[in-house]
Amino acid sequence: MASPSRLSRSIRPQFRSSLLRPISSRQSRLYHSYEYAQPPPFSPAESAILSSAIAHVPDHGFSSSALSLGARDAGYLDASTNLFSRGAFDLINYHLVSQRISLKDAVQFPGEAEQGPGKLGIGSKVRALTLARLRANRPIIHRWQEALAIMAQPSYVPPSLAELARLADEIWFLAGDVSVDTSWYTKRASLSAIYSATEIFMTQDTSKDFTDTEKFLDARLEDSIKLGGFLGACSEWIDYTGHSVVNVLRSKGMRV
Amino acid sequence: MNVQTPKLLFRRQLLHNAGRGMVREQSRCFSCSSRHAQQPTNPPKPSQDAPRLTHFGFETVAEAIKEQKVRGVFSSVASSYDTMNDLMSVGIHRLWKDYFVRNLNPGQNPLKSSSSSEQGWNILDIAGGTGDIAFRMLDHASTINNDPYTKVTVADINPDMLAEGKRRSLVTPYARSPRLNFVEANAEKLDMIPDSSIDLYTVAFGIRNFTHKDVALREAYRVLKPGGVFACLEFSKVNNTLFNEVYKRWSFGAIPLIGQLVAGDRDSYQYLVESIERFPSQTEFRDMIQDAGFLVPGQGWEDLTGGIAAIHKGVKPLEPKITKEFIN
Repeated sequence: MASPSRLSRSIRPQFRSSLLRPISSRQSRLYHSYEYAQPPPFSPAESAILSSAIAHVPDHGFSSSALSLGARDAGYLDASTNLFSRGAFDLINYHLVSQRISLKDAVQFPGEAEQGPGKLGIGSKVRALTLARLRANRPIIHRWQEALAIMAQPSYVPPSLAELARLADEIWFLAGDVSVDTSWYTKRASLSAIYSATEIFMTQDTSKDFTDTEKFLDARLEDSIKLGGFLGACSEWIDYTGHSVVNVLRSKGMRV
Repeated sequence: MNVQTPKLLFRRQLLHNAGRGMVREQSRCFSCSSRHAQQPTNPPKPSQDAPRLTHFGFETVAEAIKEQKVRGVFSSVASSYDTMNDLMSVGIHRLWKDYFVRNLNPGQNPLKSSSSSEQGWNILDIAGGTGDIAFRMLDHASTINNDPYTKVTVADINPDMLAEGKRRSLVTPYARSPRLNFVEANAEKLDMIPDSSIDLYTVAFGIRNFTHKDVALREAYRVLKPGGVFACLEFSKVNNTLFNEVYKRWSFGAIPLIGQLVAGDRDSYQYLVESIERFPSQTEFRDMIQDAGFLVPGQGWEDLTGGIAAIHKGVKPLEPKITKEFIN
């Protein structure tokens, strides 16, 4: 039996190389799969340094000194911060990504199993998730304006916006939204706008336990519902009037 | 001028003597390929005693000879090194080097460091004979990070380049301080540097000339502390096709000519452009760095000026990865 042995020999190098380079060969999927766990977004060394650096952010801000202090805590050298080519932005990005990923564990909707779905509407789920995400900024909120300034630098705007879009998508997904029409886009776009506006409001909020931020968020969500209702009514009116006009013209014998 | 003339004469003589025993270098620029076609070509003679071959520009030479030939090239260009670099790169090489150093951000503020046991970075600058990178590193550490402890060891295989660097260091504040020292060393055998002793290993426009790049990378891995950084500034491949055409015209047409006119040495600069052409692409070199055991940040490199040069970095991990030998 020559062929099986040849087959196994030809497979082995591939297998071996996949063992050797787990990082380069790890696959990232463009879709969400319940079957496969998503690969971790940061390599072990990166997350070791970044997670210890986040602890220094309240004192040192999103800065290279927080990064090097984190590197030292993780047992690395100051020089090891060269692992992060974008410096402070990599630290901000770590905060954004890690908070987005931990959102699904941070918010549970109790009682859904007993009382059936629909007990808590999608709208209130979105509100709860958005609030939970905003609350995750609490320890570093006094440094968040610096972070927003860094994110607004021209070269960092595209990755920041992409991360905002991923957050809005994550919130709608966790809220159980299954729309497949154009509202898929408008929902995410409006939530992104609301979230970023509320986040900026929160950086200047001095109220106890950020109650003003909560009110602000509720007002914006209300606005979006009103606006959505208004737009829906508008389109309905246009649709009705258009059909009526066509029918009137047809009744006059016009070939439309 | 009076000082230059005997030096120039001496250098030519040296080159002449050095060139006698070897296969004559041929210019193979694109712009003069027709002229080249008319000349009788003499193929590189295979030498019986040294069967292991490597490339020297577009030529194939025995490995033992390459080191000697590279030494010859840099001995002959040492004094006109800066003028030539300025002319060839239109001054951009200074911007690349400045960016390279600023990006690495060497030095640590002694007030911010928590443990007083270790102060400053220990930097090893390989193939840094003229001190270009070393002085910038020390300047950055002292003025930006207020760090008076960071020290740089400049290693070069070529004593002429080191002499040039020592001469230049006299006008810097680091001339007789313990922060700067010069070592004549081959990057593939850094026996004088102990294991895990270096924070930052830099090589700017040097690794291209190494006979065994993989051996040099492994040696870099050995001398670096865990968490230490390997950083390499080197010519690379231009991404844009149109720009590549212009760039190739310039490098094969103009650079050897400038070399001939300014430094009186066409062959050395012909070697320079050929060695740039032979150097692996960004992805290949990134893979070589990974194979040596380093972690690479992000995609592994950063292009400068459309890919004419690129900065490659690698970080030595705290726990070594499982190597090929181990699995086999």
